[in-house]
Amino acid sequence: MNRARYLRAPLIVLTLAMFLLPPLWLLASSLKSSKAIFAWPPQLLPTSPTLENFRAAISQDNFGLYFQNSLFVAVASAALSVLISLMAGYALAKFRFKGETVIFLIIMSALMIPLQIILIPIFIILKELHLLNTLWGLILAPAATPTGVFIMRQYIRSIPDSLLEAARIDGTPEWRIFLRIIVPLSIPAIAALAAFTFVWRWNDYLWPYLLITDQSKWTVQLALANNVGQWDINWPRLLAMSVLSVIPTLVLFISLQRYFMSGLLSGATKE
Amino acid sequence: MSISGKMQQEAVTPAAKAEMKPGGGNPPPGTTVRSSRRSRLAKQMFPYLLLLPTVGLLVTFCIYPLAQGLFMSLFRRGIVVTERVPATWPKFVGFDNFVAVFEDPEFLGVLARTVGFVVFAVPLVTIVSLLLALLLKKTFFGSGAVRAVVFFPAMISLLITGVVWKWLFGFNSGLINYVLSLVSIEPVPWLQDASMAQIAVVLVWVWANAGFYMMIIITGLTTIPEELYEAARIDAASPWRAFWRITLPLLKPTLSLVMILASVEAFKVYELVVSLTGGGPGRSTVYLIQTIYETAFRKPNAAGIAAAQSAILFVALLLLTIVQLRMSREKT
Repeated sequence: MNRARYLRAPLIVLTLAMFLLPPLWLLASSLKSSKAIFAWPPQLLPTSPTLENFRAAISQDNFGLYFQNSLFVAVASAALSVLISLMAGYALAKFRFKGETVIFLIIMSALMIPLQIILIPIFIILKELHLLNTLWGLILAPAATPTGVFIMRQYIRSIPDSLLEAARIDGTPEWRIFLRIIVPLSIPAIAALAAFTFVWRWNDYLWPYLLITDQSKWTVQLALANNVGQWDINWPRLLAMSVLSVIPTLVLFISLQRYFMSGLLSGATKE
Repeated sequence: MSISGKMQQEAVTPAAKAEMKPGGGNPPPGTTVRSSRRSRLAKQMFPYLLLLPTVGLLVTFCIYPLAQGLFMSLFRRGIVVTERVPATWPKFVGFDNFVAVFEDPEFLGVLARTVGFVVFAVPLVTIVSLLLALLLKKTFFGSGAVRAVVFFPAMISLLITGVVWKWLFGFNSGLINYVLSLVSIEPVPWLQDASMAQIAVVLVWVWANAGFYMMIIITGLTTIPEELYEAARIDAASPWRAFWRITLPLLKPTLSLVMILASVEAFKVYELVVSLTGGGPGRSTVYLIQTIYETAFRKPNAAGIAAAQSAILFVALLLLTIVQLRMSREKT
């Protein structure tokens, strides 16, 4: 027992090192001059930190635009996904209606169909809907997720029925009950799902790669992959780009960490 | 919160309950409910309106495409990517696409490699995240921060993860080979050798996903009653024994959930490969998703074949999901 306790601290330090060092090494390297990046033996910390690599990354054609595109897709996806999941979750949590089982089955079956195996038909459908090569195509196709519906349903179930009932007796219209009671009381679940959706869409690669051919509609991930794919990688610039592309996720993660964890508890699934 | 909610729910009278659920029960005879027919209809329609966007989008972008994909696998056809390259008219070929897929040695190689990846990566990630969860389940000063650090890689794109590790794995300039050289180990050709590259993909994938599953396992661990461990301590059982006799059996449903989730995730491995190995060296780290994509969009008139490949992947995932549902049902 005691032996195990003595082992704990070093093990925790080792774990921390294993998970913290790679991102820190990325950050440190992105601040080095291109000469220092390839120095042997490697410098652990930049001796003379420079923002030159970041300047090179940002001054790349359209990098700001790619960032803007990614932000638009991630924010719009999060908003849309939260809204429709909240609506569906409310219906499934608090109403009894005909066809409930069928609708539940439809949502459940979507859980078994990852986007990756229906790439080709979706591509054709989006083409027919004239959504190919548009950011809206990236937003609409994955907007409805069973995970989102389940997180919301679980959460809304904990809202006491008596609240809704009281409002109904007062003659409050249904949509107002939704907006004035359900939405404000579901803020923690909304934060969790919004954060997850933002991160998922921000990180999407295969999907935009398939849909977007017009370079002015590229997302950050596409720009990154393009830099990785080059035969001769410009490492200083790529490392700086990587750091920049992680910043929104990092900010969101640190500020909403509590909700990420609680969202995991109720959803327990990755998309 | 949940207990009081339940009590309040039970306190609701049956009449109020019928009132509360539109469409559930008619008003008792004799009552003069003055709500007009239109507003009652609106009330009945409300849950359907709430569900409309989700169901509409799921049918359009999930269920219908699945049906179309399965249908497509029976045809020889291409995808019209640009207007200038017309695809030939779809031609019904029955199960020829499936036969072609299973006779294609390259595809069989990719399939075997993907299954191999799943078989290695899933148990590894389960064990690693279990060990992490056991290490970090207790709260101590800074435990939240340590958990967050371990969890964070699951939140960054696999593309970035690939970039970071490609840089760390560098042959002549990478940090890992430098550290190895300090203990006088020859530089390892991590990404230059086919089998080493496959191992590297597994290791990095585990690194990227372990934190996510760790969080799920920690949740599972918190549901195990502390009294059981106290009883074990009184019986002077070793922690090792307590782990095998208490923790592991009670954690079984959580662990199987993790394994199923991880398997589905592992079958889809692709993004990581784009930046870590680019599918190389040679084509040694090309997995299923990349092959499907290339077949559909790079080969002429092969969309049906790609659809057949997708159908095979779908069946694999379907089996996994059925197992998952079975296990989660056992749990409750």
